[in-house]
Amino acid sequence: MSRSVRYSSSPLLASKTPVWRSKFIVAAIALGFAGLAARAAHIQIFGNEFFQRQGEVRFVRTLELPASRGRILDRNGLILASSIPAQSVWAIPEDVVISPQQLAELARLLDMPASVLDARLSNEDRTFVWLKRQVDETIAKQIVALNIKGLYQRKEYKRQYPDGEATAHVVGFANVENLGQEGMELTFDKELSGRPGSRRVIKDRLGRVIEDVREQEPPVDGKDLQLSIDSKVQFFAYQKLRETVLVHKAKAGSVVVLDAVTGEVLALANYPSYVPDKRRNLSGEQLRNRAVTDTFEPGSTMKPITVAMALEAGRVTPQTLIETGPGRFTMGGFTIRDTHDYGTLTVEGVIQKSSNVGALKIAQKLTPNEMWDTFTALGYGQKPQIQFPGAVTGRVRPWKTWRPVEQATMSYGYGLSASLFQMAHSYTAFAHDGRIIPLTMLKSTEPAVGVRVFSPENAHAVRRMLQMAAAPGGTGQLAQTVGYSVGGKSGTAHKQVGKGYASNKYRAWFTGMAPIDKPRIIVAVMIDEPSNGQYFGGLVAAPVFSETVQQTLRMMGLPPDLAVKPQIVTNPVEESF
Amino acid sequence: MTRVNLLLLVAVLLTALYLVRTQYESRRIFVELEKATSQGRKLELDNETLQAEKRSQATPLRVDRLAKDKLQMLPATAAITQYVPYREAAAAAPGKP
Repeated sequence: MSRSVRYSSSPLLASKTPVWRSKFIVAAIALGFAGLAARAAHIQIFGNEFFQRQGEVRFVRTLELPASRGRILDRNGLILASSIPAQSVWAIPEDVVISPQQLAELARLLDMPASVLDARLSNEDRTFVWLKRQVDETIAKQIVALNIKGLYQRKEYKRQYPDGEATAHVVGFANVENLGQEGMELTFDKELSGRPGSRRVIKDRLGRVIEDVREQEPPVDGKDLQLSIDSKVQFFAYQKLRETVLVHKAKAGSVVVLDAVTGEVLALANYPSYVPDKRRNLSGEQLRNRAVTDTFEPGSTMKPITVAMALEAGRVTPQTLIETGPGRFTMGGFTIRDTHDYGTLTVEGVIQKSSNVGALKIAQKLTPNEMWDTFTALGYGQKPQIQFPGAVTGRVRPWKTWRPVEQATMSYGYGLSASLFQMAHSYTAFAHDGRIIPLTMLKSTEPAVGVRVFSPENAHAVRRMLQMAAAPGGTGQLAQTVGYSVGGKSGTAHKQVGKGYASNKYRAWFTGMAPIDKPRIIVAVMIDEPSNGQYFGGLVAAPVFSETVQQTLRMMGLPPDLAVKPQIVTNPVEESF
Repeated sequence: MTRVNLLLLVAVLLTALYLVRTQYESRRIFVELEKATSQGRKLELDNETLQAEKRSQATPLRVDRLAKDKLQMLPATAAITQYVPYREAAAAAPGKP
């Protein structure tokens, strides 16, 4: 052992470096590892969320899945409003490079003056400017073809209204943000809009979606809305109304067509109207849905209601004689006049001849309370239960404040106000055998259940009077139509101007139903200020009623209930051997 | 022992490569699916647009105008309509169920 070499003491092996150095290296490496471990712990445990988020920001995207707005359909499923894709053109002014020719061409395509376009594009303070929203696809493609730097397009959806001005007041319109602004678009905005969905995805460097990060939330598309409107009836009623307003140089007009069985509104049109796709420079006159938003004194169209009240209260029968001579009646300092001295009339005759004196004498048999109750039951002075923005209540003052002369004037339609829509609604009580039925703008096939106001016999008696009023000898003869029995009441009211009545401004009405024995439809027409010589409801409004009834019943496929003298001319058929 | 380890190493490498490939494949197919879905959506929109277009070509106003101006037609009334009772018509056609 002692002779053996002691390696440890070999001078070759003897370390010249001190031991602490190796220990130091080991410690340093250990420290390095500890540092790494701490960093790993920091990244993976404590700061995990932050780093996850940072990672996501770099490749995960949330895509919005737009919900499409529901369509509006008519009762036969024809489109009244639908959304179609349209491009909105925008620009970053400071990036735009455009030659004068391109500018002129772009201005032509966008249908705006080149100077306006130039002003928008040269406003370099702004980093974003819309040039035009919702441009048609074909034009958008031509704009892309111009290849202008700094000009971009964004896909949006545009509402389209194929029936244009005929259905404008019913359907209304939605704005560029697809929010309902008028009509059904506004009333049912929530149902039509739906709810947008979203999805989280991973995109690759080319912008392609390569993976869904989590379950996507699908968009809920807006529901389609099927209205009770029949677009053909609507069109026809509008055309007829328009013609009449123009021929009689009237200010405006409205027409309402109701289904007397289901309470559906088949048509509701006003003139002047507007094209919902082109809404520049619209005036309130055009926008107003007069049939529901304007109230007027209904005039003689109220008389059947007065008579029905008296029949119901048992004060008169259809054959009770009423003295209307000498054609005027003075009470409370007012003189109420008829156009002629009709002498003694039956109650039926009062309606047929439209005698104011007769109507007020019948009303005198009633108490104000009774009259007010029936007016209210028929919806006068009440907010109509209809899904229409801005539907007005009209005015019927509380019966306790009525003076006797006011009760008298109300019997023939002055001193209270109602919209054409309310007027038509109240006539459902006659058409539906004494029950007033709720009205709806949505399609329904069930017969409506109404509230009884008059007995079926009295409703029938009033229908007979309405038929007489629209027959030879009545005030509304022009309401007659080929093949179908009609009944209705005309009305001509002086327009209220300031505190009094204008002597030369009138409003012509006609409200009626057909076929009279078993009414299927109610049509109400109002023409505002006819000023081409004729102004009586029976002359101005009744023809619109007549033609609307004819076309509507035909379109409903109802066979005529009157014998028709056929005017069919056919070529004789040659017999063959 | 070493052999088993080597075998496992090879297995790990192979499955790893396969995983990468599968991932790639799945993404590629996903992109295809996306493309097809968006094409489907585009076709749906085209359909919607064409429906609207068709409807605007057949509005009552346009039909009315064309019928009156080009074809000299008149609005039909009850007076120029031949009404045929449905039941009799059915009875008059024997041999049909």
